[in-house]
Amino acid sequence: MDKINLKIYRKDPSVDEKEHYDTFEVPYVDGMVVLDAVRYVEENLDTTLAIRWNCKAAKCGSCSAEINGFPRLMCKTRIDKVGFNITVNPMGAFPLIKDLVTDVTGNWDILRKIPPFTPKELGPDQHFSMKQEDVERSKEFRQCIECFLCQDVCHVVREHYTDYFGPRHIVKAASLDMHPMDTIDRSTFLNKEGGLGYCNITKCCQEVCPEHIVITDNAIIQEKERAVDLTYDPLAMLIKGRRKKEKRVV
Amino acid sequence: MNKAVNSLIPPEFFSARFISFIVLLVLGIYLMTLYPMTKLVTGLTDPFYSPTLLILPLIGLFRLTCYAYRKDYHRHLFNHPVACSIGFRGEFKGRSYTGETRFFRVENLHRWFMYFSVAILPFFYYDIAISIIRYPGYNYVISLGTILLVINTILVTVYTLSCHAIRHLVGGNIDCYSCQHSIRGKIFRGQSRINRHHETYAWLSLSMFFLVDLFIRSVAVWHFLNPVLLHW
Ligand code: SF4
Ligand code: SF4
Ligand code: FES
Repeated sequence: MDKINLKIYRKDPSVDEKEHYDTFEVPYVDGMVVLDAVRYVEENLDTTLAIRWNCKAAKCGSCSAEINGFPRLMCKTRIDKVGFNITVNPMGAFPLIKDLVTDVTGNWDILRKIPPFTPKELGPDQHFSMKQEDVERSKEFRQCIECFLCQDVCHVVREHYTDYFGPRHIVKAASLDMHPMDTIDRSTFLNKEGGLGYCNITKCCQEVCPEHIVITDNAIIQEKERAVDLTYDPLAMLIKGRRKKEKRVV
Repeated sequence: MNKAVNSLIPPEFFSARFISFIVLLVLGIYLMTLYPMTKLVTGLTDPFYSPTLLILPLIGLFRLTCYAYRKDYHRHLFNHPVACSIGFRGEFKGRSYTGETRFFRVENLHRWFMYFSVAILPFFYYDIAISIIRYPGYNYVISLGTILLVINTILVTVYTLSCHAIRHLVGGNIDCYSCQHSIRGKIFRGQSRINRHHETYAWLSLSMFFLVDLFIRSVAVWHFLNPVLLHW
């Protein structure tokens, strides 16, 4: 039977000064994903290993890790795709809790800063119906499972100390901005408070997103272009100025 | 002080990759002027007498501020980051980085260069027409040059029209296609289909640019013939 060589990052910040790696041999079963192997270790070989997962169906976004140096969901990464020598690290962009578990609460604080959905007021005899094309546009962004892999891989979030919100949060803002009933333009807010200018559109976030959200093209570039309208393009500023949105957050 | 310097000269410009790129570029241009067959016209060597040189900066700036090339040079010249994989990305904590907030803010002027690039597109078609009707000895001619110009023009057109700024202007800036903008929604979705391959068109059209230019120049100095394929 095939064996998997699994190298797992270990550190308990309350006791350990430095991290170390433990290596385990895990029996391979056809169709296995990395999460299966890690759970096998936790259940049979070392019960002190800390991991986080819930759905095992790539929908809850809790099992994010760096598998052979690439941010992925453990439950969506098949062993036969990554090979039998596997190194698993926790997400490096977030504070470590223990072993493979990181603290992603900082993201909720950022989400709270984004101006919420502000719909148009409709009179009692008015109604609004949405066509499929509008549904599809915001549906893409609503598929986000908040795994924060995009935040983890983004070099601005991970390696540079800036005030950039990060790709997941631009996706959130875009999902509100592009909602047909929303009345706010968040692009200037994102540019000023959200550090949107720090993103250099190198598209790593788009590469890792397990929901295949086209983060850079459909959310970030769109928001950047909206900011250009309001700040850099006199022609667009003129036209926009004449039929500008009711409210704008700055 | 550091801040002021950063906004004038971004730290990226001191990276070894960028400097070697510039050195190679200058060397390449210098070698080009040494090419023995290059003719002098009014004391200037090829390509410095051509009027193309006047619009070249604007075309160059269109490409330099294009989202596709931005990705490429931020990754491959500046290592910000060169790859997404952790450990191979040439990026590390504490390295100075300003993104597109200081010097590279100029990238936001892409919209302007886009307007210009769209405006000069018709001249590419004009060139094709000239290559058909101005071949000495015939009325109308399809030559190898015509075919190359057609391919070049199609690629430049598709590259320009698949620009992200155009995507925004044709419909990306609309929030409600259900309201009164369903046509714009259709155009937006159509443009998005070519926009998805913007990076591919960017490099294809740039390479074709160079090849076609080389061909035209070789024909001009009689290095290469421009065979007639069809004529009337
Ligand atoms: S495209 Fe922008 S947000 Fe996405 S990883 Fe790159 S820098 Fe970060
Ligand atoms: S955008 Fe994609 S990668 Fe980012 S948190 Fe959402 S699902 Fe995960
Ligand atoms: S366990 Fe839910 S996404 Fe992996």
